[in-house]
Amino acid sequence: MRVNPNMVPDVLAAIARTQGAQSQALQEMSTGKRVNVPSDDPAAASALVQNHTRSDTVDQYTQNGNTILQMMQTADSALSSVVSEVSQAISLGVQGANGTLSDTDRQALAQQVAGTLSNVVSQANLSYAGIYVFAGTASTTVPFTASSLSPSGYQYNGNSNVNSVAIGDGFEISVNVPGDQLFQHPGADLLGSLQQLVTALQDGSTSAIGTATTQLRAALDYLSQQRVFYGNISAQINAQETFLQNETLNLKSQENSLVGVDLTTAATDFAQAQTASQATMAAAARVMQQTLLDYLR
Amino acid sequence: MPGLNTSLLTAVHALMAQQGAMDATTNNIANANTPGYSRQVPVFSEVPPTCQGSLIFGNGVALERFQSVRDELLDFRIQEETSQQGNADAQATATQQIQPLFTSTGQDIGSQMSAFFNSISKLSADPANMSLRTQMITAGQNLAQSFHTAVAQLSQIRQGLNGSVVQDVNNINQLAQQIASLNTQIVALQADGQDGGTIKDQQNELIQQLSQLTSVSVIQTQDGISLTTGNGTALVVGSSIFPLQTSIGSDGLQHVLAQGQDVTACLQVGSIGGALAVRDQVIPQILNQLDTLASGLTTAFNAAHQQGTDLSGNSGTDFFTPLNSIAGAAAQINVALTDPAAIAAGSDGSSGSNGNLAQLLAVQTTPLPSGQTPTDSYSNVVFQVGSIAAEAQSESDAAAVSLTQLTDQRSALSGVSINEESVNLIRYQQAFEAAARVITTIDQLNQVALNMGVTNGGY
Repeated sequence: MRVNPNMVPDVLAAIARTQGAQSQALQEMSTGKRVNVPSDDPAAASALVQNHTRSDTVDQYTQNGNTILQMMQTADSALSSVVSEVSQAISLGVQGANGTLSDTDRQALAQQVAGTLSNVVSQANLSYAGIYVFAGTASTTVPFTASSLSPSGYQYNGNSNVNSVAIGDGFEISVNVPGDQLFQHPGADLLGSLQQLVTALQDGSTSAIGTATTQLRAALDYLSQQRVFYGNISAQINAQETFLQNETLNLKSQENSLVGVDLTTAATDFAQAQTASQATMAAAARVMQQTLLDYLR
Repeated sequence: MPGLNTSLLTAVHALMAQQGAMDATTNNIANANTPGYSRQVPVFSEVPPTCQGSLIFGNGVALERFQSVRDELLDFRIQEETSQQGNADAQATATQQIQPLFTSTGQDIGSQMSAFFNSISKLSADPANMSLRTQMITAGQNLAQSFHTAVAQLSQIRQGLNGSVVQDVNNINQLAQQIASLNTQIVALQADGQDGGTIKDQQNELIQQLSQLTSVSVIQTQDGISLTTGNGTALVVGSSIFPLQTSIGSDGLQHVLAQGQDVTACLQVGSIGGALAVRDQVIPQILNQLDTLASGLTTAFNAAHQQGTDLSGNSGTDFFTPLNSIAGAAAQINVALTDPAAIAAGSDGSSGSNGNLAQLLAVQTTPLPSGQTPTDSYSNVVFQVGSIAAEAQSESDAAAVSLTQLTDQRSALSGVSINEESVNLIRYQQAFEAAARVITTIDQLNQVALNMGVTNGGY
């Protein structure tokens, strides 16, 4: 059988092949990716779209959690100062119910409690980044404004609606407690009770002071219960954050197994391709030089 | 009885034959690297002997012709495989251009879609925030833009392929013309009982070039070869050609006509077939999927958006400009809203409500009328683009390997071996020298014969 005398095309094809393998290995090493265009592995490229979308979503859940957390902490610290102020007002009320006090003393107490009331109102009108935290979803409306119509002297302008934010798939958390529920709940009307206490202190009736104080205590208890909501949310967000971090890690490792390259393998591939390329060229150089003419003299 | 003159004649014939053989060898060596060249071997034959009684005298050698060494079947297989490779290469090149559009770069539709829904998720934590609202509108515009970019680039690639079809048709006609003119020469040679030889090589090489563009059937006739293409319409018959034509069809694309008949759909192999396949099947298919996605997304998102209330408490309007049809949706998708306050984030009419954002977000994970969620639809497109490109690439690789093998086989049969030719050269040289020596010897014998019986030198 006659052998193909023209080795050049074969040699060139072989060199092109080994160089192709080399450049593939080099690209994998330099990008750290096994899949650089969809045709490298269509299924992996398609799964990568899902993976990226998912990790974007998870990132956003984490960011949302952080945004809410800051708002929750602001709201919680406002309520915390309300609780301590109102506690003080209660002790003032207890003091005022003492029959030995003079009217002048009670007037002084009334003034202090009135001060507490206006402090509480200012906390209830707390705005965080331009948003009134205790106005329900009417977050651009000042929640409590002075009103002669209302028995407490303040009317609620917000609404009773609650916003929910997703911090996980199907994991939506309510992010606010409407102000009327916190400060003007029927039967536990904090602002009303404070106003009542002020009036009672001004009037000097110890029994009315006592009643007002008891009502104020009930309202404070209710507020404290409601405040737990903010603490709970913070705890939930923190727990979810850990979960999301794990998911991010999982997604990263999934991405890596989908399109990432094992550096050791890539380096080995590259070395092999290089060796093959050198061997091909060395062999070609030797074979192509020789003809019979070299020996015919 | 043969005389010295007869021997002289035989020797002269031998000189001529060996010289002719050396010519063939020289030509072989000269064409060692000519593509498509088949080596030629000199065909020697004995000159019919002379009979005188019981004696038979040989009359030497005659160089009958030069025979090109070739295997027509192998040539045919090479043409076929060249067509396959032309097709796969054209498809691979075109799909390589499409791929970057669907590679995760941050600018692709998938990334922009994800970014758009994230901007909604972000807004849900602070629904009255104007800068977040503006971000959402920008993200929507970016998403629309990414659809536009993909459509524009696909159309550009399509136009490029359209142009290459015209170019391919021109090349086909040019090659057909050359093949037809060679037909005339070959017929003339064959009429003399000669091998088509090097002209046949040229023609074969042209047919192979033609095969790379489109598949042709070769039929041997008395007038040389006939070529048919497409659905069997004649391209070359004898010395005349029936050129292919192009004309712009009602779809705005170039159609290929053979003798007035539209054969575009029949051209399925060769680089013209590859270009047509990507132009008429692959790209429209991708465009259709993008259209379906853009249209489904627009409709679903608008429906959800209309359920909500904006910053001023009004009912939501269309977020994306409503589309009239699915066809062209990807090119036409646009954000209709310009006022960030008009985003219907709320569900209760109050400015800080985010109740409707959950509905907007749900569009991302709810199946569209196509049965797939937006993300699934897009990742499906990526898979298809990837597998089409991968398939074309591997077909091209496979065709290259099998073409190399076939070419090796042909080269093994028809290729010029310098070593072999060197040996032949020595062989013919020696035979030539021997024949020359015979002539010298006969010359001496003639001298001897002329001087016979003459003393003193004959004068």
